[in-house]
Amino acid sequence: MKSPLVTECLFHLGGIPIGAPVVVSWAIMAGLVVGGYLLAHRLTLVPDGKQAVIELLVETVDNQIQDTMRVEPAPYRAFIGSLFLFILIANWSGLLPGVEPPTACPQTDAALAVLVFLAVIYFGVRAGGWRGYLSSFASPSPLMIPLNFIETLTRTFSLFVRLFGNMMSGVFLIGIVLSLAGLFVPIPLMALHMLTGAVQAYIFAILAMVFIAEGLESQAPGKPEKEAP
Amino acid sequence: MTINWWTFSLQTVNFLILVWLLSRFFWRPVAALIERRRQIARDLLDQAQADRDAAAQALEEARRRSAGFEEEREKILAEAWREATEARGALLVKAEAEIAASREQSRTAIAHEEEEAARVWTARAGELALTVAARLAARLDGAAVTEAFLRWLTGKIAGLPADARATLGAADEVDVISAAPLDPALQSRVGAAIGAALGASPAFSFKTEPDLIAGLELRTPHLSVRNSWRADLAQILAELKHDERI
Repeated sequence: MKSPLVTECLFHLGGIPIGAPVVVSWAIMAGLVVGGYLLAHRLTLVPDGKQAVIELLVETVDNQIQDTMRVEPAPYRAFIGSLFLFILIANWSGLLPGVEPPTACPQTDAALAVLVFLAVIYFGVRAGGWRGYLSSFASPSPLMIPLNFIETLTRTFSLFVRLFGNMMSGVFLIGIVLSLAGLFVPIPLMALHMLTGAVQAYIFAILAMVFIAEGLESQAPGKPEKEAP
Repeated sequence: MTINWWTFSLQTVNFLILVWLLSRFFWRPVAALIERRRQIARDLLDQAQADRDAAAQALEEARRRSAGFEEEREKILAEAWREATEARGALLVKAEAEIAASREQSRTAIAHEEEEAARVWTARAGELALTVAARLAARLDGAAVTEAFLRWLTGKIAGLPADARATLGAADEVDVISAAPLDPALQSRVGAAIGAALGASPAFSFKTEPDLIAGLELRTPHLSVRNSWRADLAQILAELKHDERI
């Protein structure tokens, strides 16, 4: 069994090595975008079953943002919702034979964690400006600036490690059991892996909302927000 | 463990692209539709509230108008009642006047009819009396009746004023009218008795008039002495009419 920490290069594209996680991510992206487009391009005021499901998904994301961040969900909906959907589908993609979930690759989790880190900065600066955002590091006291700075980095690292560790361990465990016990024995573990994947996607999205909300604390009350691209 | 920076960079870009694409083709349309539906629901609720307020206002207006209508209705009813009462009074007065006039007219008509009926019945009674008298006279002894009427005639002549008796005696001819023809002997005796009563001897002309029923009468151009049942009945009828008029 190969090491999960090693990313195997499948092919090169213009001199850039393309690994399996990237290819699977493209497939997931294509599936999400095409599926989302097909589901959302003919919306009606009176929804059918499919439309009701996607509306339920959007409203659930909005409700989570409102409950967690106490802000208007529109500027954060696309980032948080896409983060949750991508991680969830990526986690579950490992159930397909021969497919290794992109989230079991450290580069993918690191990229997502770094994007959350950048999103915290982006939304914080957008809400209160650089001064407002940087002043949040001095809360509750300027003495806390180093600790707050280190906390910002460590929580980003914890995001990356938590997701990677859970998914990598799940894939690794299923691979070991599959190699030792046969075809049907890993099924309970795979079900558990599905649950773990959903929970990890939810935790990742919730923590992203919490971190972004902390960055918004310097935002003046009642200041209008612009919708994110 | 080593980080493949190419993979890291690609995954970063991949996710940013995914966020952009999903935002464009999924999140925004669905959220816009939800917001549109909410806006429509809010508009409908606002419209419903506005309609409800308008309905409540219209109801209040209708109630106010209804109260006004009730008051107007009471007023119209009172006015109608007053006019009806006045009209009823006027009609009653008019009806009473008409009834009184009709009653008076009927009374007059009934009196007239009664008077006419009395006149008719009096005439019939007279005729019946004449008939009865004629039939009774027919059953009596003609000579005795003539003698009786001759005696009454001479009595009436004796009761006349002297100038009237002189007028009768001075007449050229005196008609002696009887109901039945007199034989010559009786004519002589009647002429003698009348001449004695008059104290003169005028010429007598004996004539017969069955209408007399019974009796003897004297007639001259200027004076007549009635002495017959017809004259008596005529006098009785006249007295009866006189009594009815009283």
